[in-house]
Amino acid sequence: MSDHRHQHDSPPSPYHRSDRTEARNKELAARVEKIESLLIEKGLVAKDALDRIVDIYEHDLGPMNGAKVVARAWVDPDFKGRLLEDATAAIAELGFGGLQGEHMVVVENTPRVHNVVVCTLCSCYPWPVLGLPPAWYKDPAYRSRVVIDPRSVLAEFGTAVHDDVEVRVWDSSAEVRYLVLPERPSGTERLSEDELAKLIDRDSMIGVTTVAVR
Amino acid sequence: MSEERRARPDIAEMSGRPSLPRKSGELVFGNDWERRAFAIAVCLAEQGMFDWSEFQQQLIESVGEAERGDPQNPERGYYESWLMSLERLLARKQLLARPAP
Repeated sequence: MSDHRHQHDSPPSPYHRSDRTEARNKELAARVEKIESLLIEKGLVAKDALDRIVDIYEHDLGPMNGAKVVARAWVDPDFKGRLLEDATAAIAELGFGGLQGEHMVVVENTPRVHNVVVCTLCSCYPWPVLGLPPAWYKDPAYRSRVVIDPRSVLAEFGTAVHDDVEVRVWDSSAEVRYLVLPERPSGTERLSEDELAKLIDRDSMIGVTTVAVR
Repeated sequence: MSEERRARPDIAEMSGRPSLPRKSGELVFGNDWERRAFAIAVCLAEQGMFDWSEFQQQLIESVGEAERGDPQNPERGYYESWLMSLERLLARKQLLARPAP
């Protein structure tokens, strides 16, 4: 994939390299080891607590932030306008950031258009709002088939899209991460923003499903 | 019952230079010591030994120092600056010096 000009998942920050000599790594490892053993000795940290922290931060990122973004857009037309205009800035208004140079773009589902997101080459994903990508998102079958025959793939997710609705497929990259703004289901007029957010799941923001009242 | 623990947004979603290196959302560690150094700082903050903003400020300074020569080619990687920040904060707070509670 390195010969492809469409760059994926490369850390854009020069800090994110760790090309060091073996000797330097040993020295750094020893410094960490020293801190760790002193802290354990003093009872300030426990070894299993350290292991759990890594596990939590590697895996515990959920799609809650994205659901809050969508719910806000449903109840606040001005926010929705800003979100469709400049998603990165609008999402930052809610305090969600953490992207490393990539731009967020929000695409809106309407009665005429259904949007679905893929990363055809790897698994670029708007993780600050959606957490970690599901396994199927990284599956080569999804990545190729959703481009060739999106309606069949959507049907497999239980999503029937009418023939007169246009299906648009968006290919994420290192530079641009897409998030689908699903349609607000009817019958939710009386729900609060928080109640709405609970209806919105990950798959609807990737665009393989729609939001339904449960 | 397992205790519920969650990633803190102020740590997981730091933005700009001090943002955690990630690939498709997953943290990227080049060596195991990077992973350990990450966990130690987070663990101490979670236990209230220091405020996360104090560590973050120290990290911003360390990262800034590293790019004094050439911003595109910093003299050390992210977790080296992280480790340096941890050492400095521990020294300032005298966390390694004071007797066990």
